[in-house]
Amino acid sequence: MTDKIAEQLARCFSLAFPQMDPSRYSTASAENTTEWDSVAQVTLLSLIGEEFGVEINFEEFEGATSFEALAGRIREISARA
Amino acid sequence: MRLGEALRIAGQSRGERQKLIHLLCGFTPLHLATFIKAYLSLRFPNDSIRVGTGLYGDLEGNIQQAANSNAEGAIAVLEWADLDPRLGWRNASGWNRQTLADVEAQIQEKCRRLEAQLSALSQRMPVAVIGPTLPLPPLSHLPPAQTSALELQWNATLSDFLERVGRQKGIKLLSAAALAMRSAPSLRHDLEMDLQAGFPYTLAHADAMAQLSTSCLFAASPKKGLITDLDQTLWRGILGDVGSEGVSWSLEAKSHGHALYQQMLASLAESGALIAIASKNDAGLVEAALRRPDLLIRPEQIFPVEAGWGAKSDSVTRILKAWNIAADSVVFVDDSPMELAEVSEKQPGIECLRYPSSAEGLALLLWQLRERFGKADIVEEDRLRLNSLRAAAQIESDLPKQASADFLARLQAKVTLENVSADHARAFELVNKTNQFNLNGVRYTEAEWKARASRPGAFLTTVSYEDRFGPLGRIAVLGGCVDEDRCFVDVWVMSCRAFSRHIEFQTLRQLFKKSRASAVRFDFRPTERNGPLQTFLGQFFPAECLSSATIELSLARFEQSCPTLFHEVIE
Repeated sequence: MTDKIAEQLARCFSLAFPQMDPSRYSTASAENTTEWDSVAQVTLLSLIGEEFGVEINFEEFEGATSFEALAGRIREISARA
Repeated sequence: MRLGEALRIAGQSRGERQKLIHLLCGFTPLHLATFIKAYLSLRFPNDSIRVGTGLYGDLEGNIQQAANSNAEGAIAVLEWADLDPRLGWRNASGWNRQTLADVEAQIQEKCRRLEAQLSALSQRMPVAVIGPTLPLPPLSHLPPAQTSALELQWNATLSDFLERVGRQKGIKLLSAAALAMRSAPSLRHDLEMDLQAGFPYTLAHADAMAQLSTSCLFAASPKKGLITDLDQTLWRGILGDVGSEGVSWSLEAKSHGHALYQQMLASLAESGALIAIASKNDAGLVEAALRRPDLLIRPEQIFPVEAGWGAKSDSVTRILKAWNIAADSVVFVDDSPMELAEVSEKQPGIECLRYPSSAEGLALLLWQLRERFGKADIVEEDRLRLNSLRAAAQIESDLPKQASADFLARLQAKVTLENVSADHARAFELVNKTNQFNLNGVRYTEAEWKARASRPGAFLTTVSYEDRFGPLGRIAVLGGCVDEDRCFVDVWVMSCRAFSRHIEFQTLRQLFKKSRASAVRFDFRPTERNGPLQTFLGQFFPAECLSSATIELSLARFEQSCPTLFHEVIE
């Protein structure tokens, strides 16, 4: 289940950050990724909404500005569903 | 299209030529810009698309900035919040009566300014304008089921504004009805995204807006002809079984769908589309049925009628020959999947549409036909096209393939040359749809067309023709630049209806005469379809010269090969 979430989230990253080397996805964050700005964050969240078939509530993703944090929030949402 | 797919397509837009299009809005452009870039990338696969955006909350400033750019088009999106911020969801300055009473004056003033700015912008580039797509917030004291007088007043002001803007040349208004068919009004607003990111649309709505606005801004070339079957298509019933009085198209006979289809064909014919019939039927019976006075398309709007017992594809081939147009400019409609498959196999380029058995399917077919044949302008030549094709068929049947000098001398032909501006709709249409007699096959966007006309020494000439068989209207366009005694031609097209009359020779003779050039250089490029142009140039140049990009024809060489011309020339 966890791997599947990471795999799906990686797909979102490949679209939001087409220049990023896939090996970097798991450690990527807004702090270490120049192109991860507010527009990229909204794009990522919209892609996550599409990929996982969920309505995005920005509050739920507040502060989730790394691959790991995003995956964690998705896991929480999935567990609730 | 999903956002992920749009990002992937937009990311692959890496053509050689930059194409800048502005998205003008007061909200954060975000995913709408992505979808627009994706659709434009699909439409122009050889270009590198850039979607220019502006500042949040400054629609007017963004329009002004675009007007100073070298963009090739703009899509302007107006929501209620752009007309008055108090009508947006991100504003909380009160929905009290005093505030609302003041909104009308603000909308009027804003519309007045936007009209002037959009008008100025449209002088520079084509503009697609989208009126408010989101509903007003619940600001009235009335229950939602009841419309308020204020809301009606605002809508009336907005409608007046859009009507004035839509009349301006260079501005295309997006159809609210077409948008509603693709995007239900209740599923358009994403309030969470609006409040958090300043982007007000759901992804599905942004996708629909992008798809429609890009096709509105850069409409595809309309199809030129439609070939229709008769039995169970133009009418209900089998003509051979029930006779010409037995076939029907009426509410009473529960066959009204066929009346709607006939009505659509008549409308397409009126706007210049060619309509022909390919039917496996007895020719005499067909003639009798087409003479019925209640038929909603007039028999003179149909040419040719191919009725017989041979293969449908043979009929279609003969019709294409009579029209002298390629199969990919034509739609074939039949109720039989077998006939559609047979025609499609023999004429792979033709678009085959099945006449449906359900009312819902019929509505879809009628919209599809409007989509394929829709055009912004209807010009005089659209009215003349069918008659000139009939005349051409008559001439062809009466005379040997290559018209004799004696015959041409008796045509009483008149060639009229007229210098026109880049705004000339027929010239632009001809250049963008002619394939066979086309110097280089280059297609232009409106912005490119206007830009080439602003070059120093630029000229653009239309050529009209008429003879004792009737007028053909404007059938050729010649354009280029003249610099002292040098003449360069990069646009030359002529409708296939005008072949075999030596109009192309007369056009060149007049070009030499007017430009006083001793030689004319042509920006020639061979294409898969400009064989007739290549044949014409082949009279002046050996074949090996016709692979080069620029060729030069001297006056002496031209006159050496030019036949005797009998046209009366009018300038």
